Amino acid sequence: MRLTSGVVGLVAALVASATFAACGGETAESGQKTGEQPTELRLAIGGESEEGYDPTLGWGRYGSPLFQSTLLRRDANLEVVGDLATDWSVSEDGLTWTVELRDDAYFSDGEQLTAEDVAYTFTTAAEQGGLTDVTALGKAVAVDEDTVEMTLTEPRSTFVNRLVSLGIVPKHAHGEDYAGQPVGSGPFIFVDWQRGQQLIVERNDDYYGDLPAFERVVFSFADEDGALAAARAGDVAMAGLPSTLATTDVEGMDWTVVESVDNRGIMFPTVPDTGELTEDGLPIGNDVTADVDLRRAVNVAIDREALVEAILEGYGSPAVGPADATPWANTEAGVTDADPQGAGEMLEEAGWVDEDRDGVRERDGVRASFPLLYPADDSLRQGLALAVADMVELAGIEIQPEGVSWEEIDRRMHTDAVLFGWGSHDPTEMYNLYHSSLAGTEYFNAGYYANGVVDGHLDAAMAATDEATANEEWRAAQLDAAGEGFTAGADASWAWLVNLEHTYLTDECLDVGTPQVEPHGHGWPITANITEWEWAC
Amino acid sequence: MLGRVLLRALRVVSLVVAVVVGSFWLMSASPVDPVQAYVGADAASIGSEQREQIAERWGLNDPPLERFAAWAGNVFTGDLGQSQIYGEPVVVVLADRAAASLALMTTAWVLSGVFGFAMGLLAGMRAGTWVDRALSWWAYLLASAPTFWVGLLLLYVFSVALGWTPVGGAVPTGTLPGEASLLERVHHLLLPAATLSLIGVAPVLLHTRQAVVEVMASDYVAFARSQGEQPFGLVLHRVLRNAAAPAVVLQFASIGELFGGSLLAEQVFTYPGLGEATTQAALRQDVPLLLGIAMVTALIVLTGNAFGRVVHHAVDPRASVLA
Repeated sequence: MRLTSGVVGLVAALVASATFAACGGETAESGQKTGEQPTELRLAIGGESEEGYDPTLGWGRYGSPLFQSTLLRRDANLEVVGDLATDWSVSEDGLTWTVELRDDAYFSDGEQLTAEDVAYTFTTAAEQGGLTDVTALGKAVAVDEDTVEMTLTEPRSTFVNRLVSLGIVPKHAHGEDYAGQPVGSGPFIFVDWQRGQQLIVERNDDYYGDLPAFERVVFSFADEDGALAAARAGDVAMAGLPSTLATTDVEGMDWTVVESVDNRGIMFPTVPDTGELTEDGLPIGNDVTADVDLRRAVNVAIDREALVEAILEGYGSPAVGPADATPWANTEAGVTDADPQGAGEMLEEAGWVDEDRDGVRERDGVRASFPLLYPADDSLRQGLALAVADMVELAGIEIQPEGVSWEEIDRRMHTDAVLFGWGSHDPTEMYNLYHSSLAGTEYFNAGYYANGVVDGHLDAAMAATDEATANEEWRAAQLDAAGEGFTAGADASWAWLVNLEHTYLTDECLDVGTPQVEPHGHGWPITANITEWEWAC
Repeated sequence: MLGRVLLRALRVVSLVVAVVVGSFWLMSASPVDPVQAYVGADAASIGSEQREQIAERWGLNDPPLERFAAWAGNVFTGDLGQSQIYGEPVVVVLADRAAASLALMTTAWVLSGVFGFAMGLLAGMRAGTWVDRALSWWAYLLASAPTFWVGLLLLYVFSVALGWTPVGGAVPTGTLPGEASLLERVHHLLLPAATLSLIGVAPVLLHTRQAVVEVMASDYVAFARSQGEQPFGLVLHRVLRNAAAPAVVLQFASIGELFGGSLLAEQVFTYPGLGEATTQAALRQDVPLLLGIAMVTALIVLTGNAFGRVVHHAVDPRASVLA
C-alpha cells in the first residue's frame, strides 16, 4: 500500500508542476510577441560546435565567430573587406603577406589585441589538426605592435580565406580550456554553453565595430522537428529548416530565403577504362562518360529550371559551375539546356546511333548507358537523379540512378558518375575539383579530369598576388577566351544541376538585413551579419 | 558461497572485457573514416596535409592493436582517454551527460514499471473482459509504435497545441544552469519521461497479464476462492507475489533497452543526455568515447541484472540470488 500512496504523490507533483509551468510558458511567449523591443533574441539554427569555440580548431570558419574577430571579412556579395586589418598587401613573389592592424581592438578581458596575438593564432592553427587548413603557412611574425608578416611555403592567393575565417585568440589566455570559455575581441561575450542544448551570449559593449541591437542572444540546438515546434510555440524568433518544409505557414513568422553556393551536380569519370587502378587498387575509368560529346549532350539535355521547380519546390536556381554567385564565377560559361533534340543531334554527329532501336544509342559496341550514384539517405539527390534520368532518356542516353552508401561511393567514384554536392566561400575548392594533380585524392578530382590549359589557369589563380587577377584566372578556368575550360560548353567534366536556397522561418518583426550568399551547409552561416540584425516592430 | 560470489564477479569482469574488445573490433572493421566524418561538409577546404594533422592528433596512424593496448593500459589508471568529437576527457563527457540521462531514465523506469505492473494485474484479473481487451490492445499498439513518433505526437499535442509543456531542453531556453528551479527541471522532464515510460509500459503489462492468468488458473487460487477469499484479498495474498516475478526480472533487464529508447526521446526533445553522445560517437567513429559508453552501459546492465536477481529472490525465495 505504501507503494500506491507514493505513486499518487508523484502524479500529484507532476500535475502541479505542469499547471505551474503552463503559466510560466505563456509569459515567456508573450515576451517575444509584444510591441516593445525585446533585448533577448532566441534562434534555433543549429550549428553547435561540439569541440567548442576555439578558432584554431576551426570554430567560426563560416558565419559569425561571435566571440572573436577576424583580420578580414566578406560582405554580402562575398567581396573581401577589412576588419581587424586596416591594410594588407602581398609581395611580388606571392610569398609574404603583410597585415596592418587597427589599434582600438581589445579582448573582452581588457587586454589590447596586438600583432603578437595574430602571429600566435596563425602559428597555432597551422600546427593543430583541426578544421581550418593553414598548412600553407611557413611562419607568422609580429614585426611591431600592429604589423604582422606571414610567410607562405608557396604562393597561394586563397590564403586570404584564412585571414577571413580565422578568429584571433589572445596569446595570454589561450590554453587547454579555451574552447569551453572563449575570450576574444568580437561583438559578443561568452556566457554559458549547455552542451547539446543551448549557447548563451551577451553583447560586448566594448566591441570596436557596430554594436549588435540585442543585449543577449540564445542559440538553441534543437533538431529540425524541435526547431519547428519551438517556432510554432513562439519560443524562438528564427528556425533554420529545410526548404521542403517551406510550404508550412506559421502565424507571425515569414520565410527568409537566402541564396547559396550550396550546389548539386554530376561528376563524370573523364577517362576510359584501361584497367588502370588507384594506389588503393580501385578501378578507374568509364568508356561511356569518357566521351566529351556525350558529356556535353547530357548537359544540354537536362532541364535545370524544371529541376528547380519540381525537386527544390522553387527554392533554388539553375547551376552553371561549382561557384555561381561568387566573385570568381564565370557567368558566360552556361549552355542552352532543356534541349534533348539538340543533344540527340550532337550525339548523332559524334557517332552515337541507336541501331538496334531500343531507345539507347550505341557506338563501336558501347551503349550510351551508365549508373549515377547518390547517397541513399539523401532524398533531394535521389529526386534529382531520377529526374535527370528521365530527361536524358529523350536524347537516347540511359542513366541508371543507384542509391548507395558513402562507403560504396568511395569505392566506385572513379568508374561511375556520382551526384555530389559542394559549395564554398573559398575558390580552393575549384582547384581541388579540377586540377589534374588532385586526381583520385579524397573526393576531389574523382573523375581523373586533366586539361593542361585548365591546370595553367588554376595555377595562375593560386599564384596571383591580388584578388582581381586571381578571380580572372578562376573565371578563365571555367571557360577562357579560346573556348577551353571545364564547364558544360567545353570539357563538360561535370554536369552542374542546381544551386539551393536556404530557408529560415523568421519572426516577421526580425529584420536580418542583407544576408550573405551562403556556403554548403544550412543554419549557422546566416549569422555572418548578425551585428546588423534588429527588431523592426 | 564465497566461491560462487567470486565466480559471479569473474563473469562480470570477463563480460565487460568481451564487450569492450568486441566494440573496438567492430569499430576498427567499420568502413567509416573518422577523419572524413569529422571533416564532413568542409571537405572542400581541407587538404590532404591537414587531414594528416588530424589523424596525427588522434593517433590514428598507429596500428589498431597498439592503440587498443595503450587505451587499455590507461583505463587501469582511471583514464578513459580523450573524446575526439568533444575535445574533452571521456570521463567528463560521460559524467556530464549521464547526470541528465539518469534523471530521465530513472523517472521513466519507475513510471513504466509501476503502471505496467498495475495495468497487467488488472488485465490479468479481468482476463477476457473488455478491460483486458482494451489494455492489451493498447499495449500492442504502444509496443509497435516507434519512440520518436510517440515523442513527436506528444510534443505537438502538449507543447505546441496546448502549450502545457516546453518544446525541448532540460531547462527553459535562455536560462543559466544555476537559475533553473527544481520545478522547471521537472517540467522539462515531463514529456521525455512520459514518452519513454509509455513505450516501456507495454512489455511489463503483457508479461504480468500472462503471469496473473496462470496464477488465477492454479489450484491454490481455486482453493482460496472456495474458502471465500474476496478478489481484493486474492490479489494481495495470492497473486501479487507470484505474478511479480516476470515483471521484476523484465524491468531490471530492460535497463539496457531504456538506453536505446532514451537516445530517440532525447533527440526529439533536445534533451542533452547520453543518447545523443552515443549516436555522435558511433556515427563519427569516436573510439575512446564509444568504448567508454560501452563499458559504462555494460556495467549498468549487469548491475541491473544482479539487482533484479536479488529482488526476485526477495519476492520468491525459491529463486536463487547467485547462479
